[in-house]
Parts: sequence; structure tokens; C-alpha cells
Amino acid sequence: MKRSKLWYWLFVGPALFAFTLVVIIPMFRGVYFSFAEWDGISNDVTLVGLDNYLRMFTDEQFFASARFTALFAIVAVISINFFGFTLAMLVTRGIKGSNVQRSIFYMPNLIGGLILGFVWQFIFIRVFGEFGDMFGLEFLKNWLTNTQTGFLGLIILMTWQMAGYMMIIYIAAIQGIPESLFEAAKIDGANAWERMRHIMLPLMMPAFSIGLFLTISNSFKLYDQNLALTNGGPYSSTEMLALNIVATAFTNNELGYAQAKAVVFFLVVGAITLTQMRITKKKEVEM
Amino acid sequence: MKKVLSMLLVMVMVAALFAGCGSSEPAKTETTETETSTETATETETTETATETTEEASDEEVEVNIFQFKVEIVDALENAIEQYKAVAPNVTVNLQTVGGGDDYGAALRAQVQSGNEPTIFNVGGPQDVEDWMSKLAPLNDAPWADLVLDGVASGVTVDGNIYGLPYNIEGYGLAYNKAIFEAAGVDASSITTFDALENALATIQTKIDAGDLADQFPLLEAAVSYAAKETWVTGLHSSNMVFANEFSSSIETFNAPSIEFKNAEGFKAYLDLMAMYSAHADNTEGMIGVDYATQVDEGIAIERVAVIQQGNWIYGGVKNVDEVVAENLGFLPLPLKGVQEDSIAVGVPMYWSINKDTDEAQQKAAMDFLNWLYTSDAGKQIVVNEMFFIPPLKGYDDVQPADPLAKDILAYANAGKTMPWVFMGYPTDWGMGVLGDGIQKYYAGVSTWDDVLEEVKASWAESRK
Repeated sequence: MKRSKLWYWLFVGPALFAFTLVVIIPMFRGVYFSFAEWDGISNDVTLVGLDNYLRMFTDEQFFASARFTALFAIVAVISINFFGFTLAMLVTRGIKGSNVQRSIFYMPNLIGGLILGFVWQFIFIRVFGEFGDMFGLEFLKNWLTNTQTGFLGLIILMTWQMAGYMMIIYIAAIQGIPESLFEAAKIDGANAWERMRHIMLPLMMPAFSIGLFLTISNSFKLYDQNLALTNGGPYSSTEMLALNIVATAFTNNELGYAQAKAVVFFLVVGAITLTQMRITKKKEVEM
Repeated sequence: MKKVLSMLLVMVMVAALFAGCGSSEPAKTETTETETSTETATETETTETATETTEEASDEEVEVNIFQFKVEIVDALENAIEQYKAVAPNVTVNLQTVGGGDDYGAALRAQVQSGNEPTIFNVGGPQDVEDWMSKLAPLNDAPWADLVLDGVASGVTVDGNIYGLPYNIEGYGLAYNKAIFEAAGVDASSITTFDALENALATIQTKIDAGDLADQFPLLEAAVSYAAKETWVTGLHSSNMVFANEFSSSIETFNAPSIEFKNAEGFKAYLDLMAMYSAHADNTEGMIGVDYATQVDEGIAIERVAVIQQGNWIYGGVKNVDEVVAENLGFLPLPLKGVQEDSIAVGVPMYWSINKDTDEAQQKAAMDFLNWLYTSDAGKQIVVNEMFFIPPLKGYDDVQPADPLAKDILAYANAGKTMPWVFMGYPTDWGMGVLGDGIQKYYAGVSTWDDVLEEVKASWAESRK
């Protein structure tokens, strides 16, 4: 017993130390700064109480960013999981070359967000523009110059990148279901839809818990892709919360106010993901 | 430039990831590099000009860390550092570059907060000087302090102390391609008014549309390209002509509690002109998609357009694409209708400053390096011929800039047809974030011009409270 406790701390200790140093302490420091006014350079940090938090209520750009982020998260979560699941279904059908397909679908996830952002910026502006000119299709022209195409661009980019990752998770879940269950259902006369609805989906619930958690938190926290693809433009209308917070801190030099935004952001995203985990966990069934 | 900047930012971010793992490593390798290369570099001519500095410097190893913003001069600056190794073998100069007004300021803050303070960094004007005051070393004793051209350092002079060495003098106006103007039969020298400019652009556009210029310039599709995506082009550079006529200097702008925006009509006329003769004339929303690269590399450099609003910094980029086009460039004035129609805007983009929170020895070495770069013969060669700078100091009579854009700026300056850069005195993020966004909204048609004016005026007053 004593021995195992030693081992326990030996394994947990270093990680806990690092975690405390780079996550826990900065987080509390951040909360402290959220009650202060600080420009990020000088040493005088003035405590201003709840001013930073109250100011958020009158900050139109902050609300616009929050709305845009929420809308993005909803659409992105649906689209990423839909495509992730569809791809997983496709490559587990036993079609020829499905291993190659898996690698290909997963590949976008290996490229960094910033680089993807620039690559897709090129595609949306140049390639789409060229096709628009060639075929006279107006809707392909001037992408990313208005809010709608900026939004769509972000959704397409994120779906393309994240769907492969979700696919891997869903493949693992699908393959974890014993083939005998499907066969038994088949003999009992269940059709393909019923087999999916009543056997596959319930047994995949743990995977959906993870998948939803990852996509929700990633969509809310999106930064790299937003920065590289639109950088908030046009006229800051596609500026998501993470980008807004960084701009407040480092462009407007209001680190205290930015911290306050970040604290609120943290609480909201935390609340949403925890609620989601509770709900989906309840739906998980034992085999 | 912006594209390059973004790519650089990407690289810096990637580099930062690795830096976390072994920040002490690079310094070590760089020192060994210096030691090996000093033996080979002693023969360069630089030695004679800077013997003074070598004598003064002790043998102790000193490290100078430069954190600067100008992406275009990285190669030239690295060359300078290489040559400087022969002058002061005990000094190791490390260069780090992060481009762009916005990106640079943020990166510098992050750098300082991480405890990794640079020895030499950049400040851009009154706001920066106020923000960074606690770190700025006064540079009155520097040998170049008396050589600075009149008015060039006013933005970084506080209570008689000078806190920065000007990078260079830059100017922007409407850069145009002389060959296209000639082919279209337009006399550029007569364009000294807004109306004359409008006529010239109309003539060129008509000829383009009629296909008259297609043989000579197959890619030519519009008279103008205007980068409304780059809010520094619209919100800082273009708007400058309005406020240069409302305030006399960046200091006065910086102290202004509110703005009248009294030449708003003239400014609107200019923005409309830029749209009307661009490739996006029938759908001005498309203007928002035009970035620096579209304007320069895929614009004037390949002769797709005849006129762009940019400065002499485009010369190097255009030259890399097409040397003939680069030699054909010149400046037309930036006209504010009815107010000032025949001038270009001339100013200093950034200043070199020294961080007084670093070691004495480091500060001294940093001072010597800047001094060497801007006043020694070898340094002057690099400044003028490799960085393509218009020198901000006296004493450059024998080394004068050779590129046509720099020559044009000097011509305008000699004729007294310049306006100062006052945008350095705008409130933080007002020019790019507020006015730049407003101009995009105007082009996109989501806001009327009057709404934009209301919003930007209110925002200025709000930030100056």
C-alpha cells in the first residue's frame, strides 16, 4: 500500500508540477488581472474591481463576436460530426482501398491551422474566383469579402480539417461493435436503417460524447484558422471570441479587460461542454 | 508585404514553439559562428572605418538582440551583421524580425513579458513613446543625434531628449507606371490636381476597355488597384491626407481630444475615384478582397494595373518581379480634393530604440552597432544600396538613393510638396480597426458614408477620454 502510493506520486508528480506551473498558476493570475487595468508594459497594475466585467455589457463588438462564435459552433459541430460519421460509415463498408481512404481523409488534420487558413484563402479567393469568371457564376466571386462567405469559408475549412479526426474516433467505435449483434438483428428481420438506429448508434454513444466534446470546445476556441483565413475581416464581422480577446489584449493594449473577457469565455465554454458531457453520458448504454 | 508578414508571423509562431524547448541553445551556437567567421572577415574594408569602436570595446563577449519590424530589409541587415563581426568581434548581434504595425507591437509585448527583452527594438511615434517610456534610453549622446534631418525625429523627442534613431524616410503617393501613361498618351507631369487625375484615369480606362493597349500590355485590366483589405492602406495612409490638413504634426494629432473630419467630402471623392477606375467598379464589395500582394505583385508589377496607392517600399518587390517595370515607376500626388492636391506624404515609419533595462555593456554595444550602421561608410552603403533607404541623416552626400521612387520623393521634398505623416498620432487601433473597418463597410454598402463618419468621430472622442 505504502509502496503503491510512492509510485502514484512518482508518476503523477512531475505532470502535476508542470500542469500547476503552466496552467493553474497562470489561470489564477489571469483571474487576478481581470479585476485590474494594465497595459501590458508598465509595472503599475491598478485594481478596478468589476469594471472590466461590467464594460463587457456595453461592448458591441464583443457581443457581435460572441454571436458569430455561437452560430459558427452550432453549424460547425453539426457539419463536422455529420461528415465524420458519414466518412466512418463509408470506410467501414469493406470497400476496396478503404485503408488508403482513411489515411487520405485523416490527412488534413495533420496540417497546422495557420497553413490551412492560408491555403484555403488561396482556394476561396483565387480558385473560386477563376471558376466564377470561367463559368460566369457570380456566387463564386469575391469570397471572404462579406460576412456570409467568410462564415461559409470557416465552416468549410473546419469541416475539411476536423471531419477526418472524428472519422477515426467513429471508426474505432463502429469496429468495437460485435458483428454477431448485426447478424442477429438481420435474422430478426431488422433492415439497414433499423440496424443503424437501434444497434449501432446506441452502442456508439461513448464515441459521440467524445466527438461532440472535442468539436464543441474546438469550435468555440477556434483561433488559428480564423486568424489565417479572414483575420476577422471584412470589417471585423467574422472576428470570433478568441481573436477578439487577443486583439483587445495586444492591439488595444487592454490586458485586464481582455482577461475579463477570457474568464467569461472560459466559464461559458466550460458550462456548455460540461452540460453536453452530462447529457450524452446519460445516453450511453452498456452492452 | 502583408502576405509576407503573415507568413513571417507563422514562422515566428512555429519558432516560438521550439524556443520553449531550448531557449538557451541558439545563443550558444551563434557565438561559435561568430568566432569562426571573424578570422575570415577581417579583410573587408569595414575595418578602417570603425577602428574606434573596436578600441573602445572590451574583449568581453556581448550579445545584442535586435527585435525589428521591417521584413524587406532582413537580408541587408543580416549582411550588415555579418560585416559588423569584423568590426567588433566580441559582439554577437542576433536578429529577429516580426513584420507589420499591429503584429509587431503585439509580438514585442509578448517578447518583453516573456522576460526575453530585446536590446534594440522599434517605436513608431508618440503613442509608442508614451507606452514604452519606462524602457527607452535617451540617445542624445549618440554621434548621429546632431545629424538627424529637421523634423524627422520630432515624433520621438520628448522634453529635448531624443529616444529613437529614424529608420529612413519613406513616402507614399500614387505610384504609377510611366510606360502605360506614355502609351495612353497621358502627360503625368500635368497631373497636379484631382480633376486632372480623374481625367487621366478616365482616359486610360477608356483605352483599356477599347482594347487599345492590349498589344503592348496584355494583362492590363484596370487603371487603378486599391487595397481596401489592408486597413493600413485605407485607414492609415489614405486618411492621413485628411488629418495632415486638420493637424500640423503627429504630436498635435496625438493630443487632439476630438476630430472635425472637416475634409470628409474630399476623402470620399478620393475613395470613390479609387473604386470607379478599379477592376471592381461595378461591385465595390470586391475592393475588400484586394490585398497588398494583389495590388503590388499581381498588380502593378505585372502591368495589370497602371496606378496604385503605395510607397517607395514596393520598389524591391516590383524589381524582383520585373526590373523594367520597377525602373518605370514614379509618383503622382495624393490629391485631397479642393484642399491639397499636389503633394505626397513623407515621414518616418519607425525608429530604432535601445532598451535601458538591459546590461550597460549591451546598451553600449547596441549604440555602437546602430552608429556603425548609419554613419560608417560601409554601413551607409548597406543603408542606401541594399535596404533602398532614403537616409534620415545628414552626411550622405556621396551615397544617394538610385531607385526612381526614392528620387521622386526627394524631388517632391525639394519642391516642398509634401505632407507629414500624422497617422502615427491616431488613437490606438483607431486608424486600422475603426476607420479601416468603416471604409470597408462603405465599400460593401452595409454602412452609408455619413454613418461611417459618425462612428469614427465618436470612437476618436471615446478613446481620448
